[in-house]
Amino acid sequence: MMTSTYEELKNIFIDSVDKSAYVELESAVYNYSVLESSLDKPLKMVLLYGKPGTGKSMLLNKLYHNLKENREIHYFDAPILSEKEFLKSIYEAMSGQAIPEKMRVNFDALLKYCQKLRDKRELVFLLDECQLYSEPLMEKIRLLSDTRVVKFVITLHKTENEDVIAKEHFKTRIWEIIEMSNANEYDLELYIQKKMIKKGFIDVSNNIKKRDIKYIHAQTKGNFRETNKYLYTVFDIYEYYERNEPEKIADKKFSKKILEMAAIRLGYIDE
Amino acid sequence: MNKVEELEQRWFKYKIKKVISPFLGFTALTVVAGTSYYFYDINKASLSPFVLTERATSVLGVSMDANKTMANPKEVKTTEISKVEVVEKPKVKTLEEVALRPVIPVIDMEKEERISNVKKVRPKQAVAGSSPLVRAKENNYLTPKELRAVTKAEQNVIPVPRKTKKMEFQTTSKDYLETLKAKFSKSKKPREALLLSKAYYKSANYEEAEKWALSANKLNSSSEESWLLFAKSKAKLGKRKEALKILVSYYKKSNSIKAKRLIGQIKAGRL
Repeated sequence: MMTSTYEELKNIFIDSVDKSAYVELESAVYNYSVLESSLDKPLKMVLLYGKPGTGKSMLLNKLYHNLKENREIHYFDAPILSEKEFLKSIYEAMSGQAIPEKMRVNFDALLKYCQKLRDKRELVFLLDECQLYSEPLMEKIRLLSDTRVVKFVITLHKTENEDVIAKEHFKTRIWEIIEMSNANEYDLELYIQKKMIKKGFIDVSNNIKKRDIKYIHAQTKGNFRETNKYLYTVFDIYEYYERNEPEKIADKKFSKKILEMAAIRLGYIDE
Repeated sequence: MNKVEELEQRWFKYKIKKVISPFLGFTALTVVAGTSYYFYDINKASLSPFVLTERATSVLGVSMDANKTMANPKEVKTTEISKVEVVEKPKVKTLEEVALRPVIPVIDMEKEERISNVKKVRPKQAVAGSSPLVRAKENNYLTPKELRAVTKAEQNVIPVPRKTKKMEFQTTSKDYLETLKAKFSKSKKPREALLLSKAYYKSANYEEAEKWALSANKLNSSSEESWLLFAKSKAKLGKRKEALKILVSYYKKSNSIKAKRLIGQIKAGRL
């Protein structure tokens, strides 16, 4: 079966933190430069926080790929909830040695090991989804960062009910805070266009007009994850029409009807 | 049914709702606004003081009852007087009834005219019989015609100049002083002594003024005027030092602004 144009298009918007999916937007470039420069400062912890889908993981991923050749940098994209596993991963990353299965890392010994490395090595750990870590584990992360050998860049979800920044250990120990927010209309337009143009869909990209972007922004509030989901649905419907009723999408204009249908499907609007 | 087809049907429903709802909203709003205006208007009329007075109810009653009687005006003319009266007798209405009855503030001029015609039929015959109606007093005002005749007659009369009588209200200060003295000898009131002092001061008889001020002060030492007149008379008689001494002692006792002002005037020689 021949691959549909719209099938390819919808796949662009599959949500992932893949380096290739990273789109350089003005706000993202700024945040990235702040993040990169903060790593050169004698800071112990750097916090990236914002609502889900604002590009925190993407930024962390980008940082890792850009710096992995020049620095001792390690990226934990999924949270390691078990303390035993977490300490094991830290030690293995530092020593480059695997720990036998039935053994575990003694935290005090790890701290002493880190202290011995002071002024000799500097390691950066990128920890995503830190809101899932337990408080005792966060306390151990703090103690490790106090050795000034290990630096942590952590991401946190900013939730409506609980401002995680207010938590005691973050309040006193985070020195650099980078807040990520949803995109404005201009950034969202660039994001969509760049994603499409990157994959060679210049015509479709040109057909998306300002009013369409405005509508998309109104539905997704400029959230990148929601936008990906929305446009995936839009092109999924396009794909159906392309295969079954092509006359319905004969018009080159980006269909408002399909935008509305996708919004109904995702529950953005009530029928 | 295919998911997209189903979605399309949901979209149709959404569109219909979107198009119809503003129209329905507008219609509902118009109806509500119209109804509320109607009721507001009625309430306004029913709350009017004109409706609540008994006299007004009878007026309105006539206009309504007149409808019935006016259905056949000729009939009214030929019927017996007593019957006409019964028809025209205003109904007794309770206040509640009147307040609740909708009144449309429009006057039918034709009806009004017809009512006045009916009223014209009534009087002379009605009074002649044993009618319960109160007979109005005969009008004894002049008609415009009569008035014209009178004014013409007046014009022909040659005006006689009116004699003015002069009344003389004259009195002498001597009389006044004697009267006051007589009064004082009878009553021995400080008021008379003070008035005498004032009169003498005005007529520049400062010695007498001083004397009467002193007697007024003897009778009522708290009288400010007696103090001031006494001092003023002294000053006029060239006894400035004495006058000032008296005033200062009075000022110390009373803290009077007038006394202070007078001290200033005497010192400056402006008395």
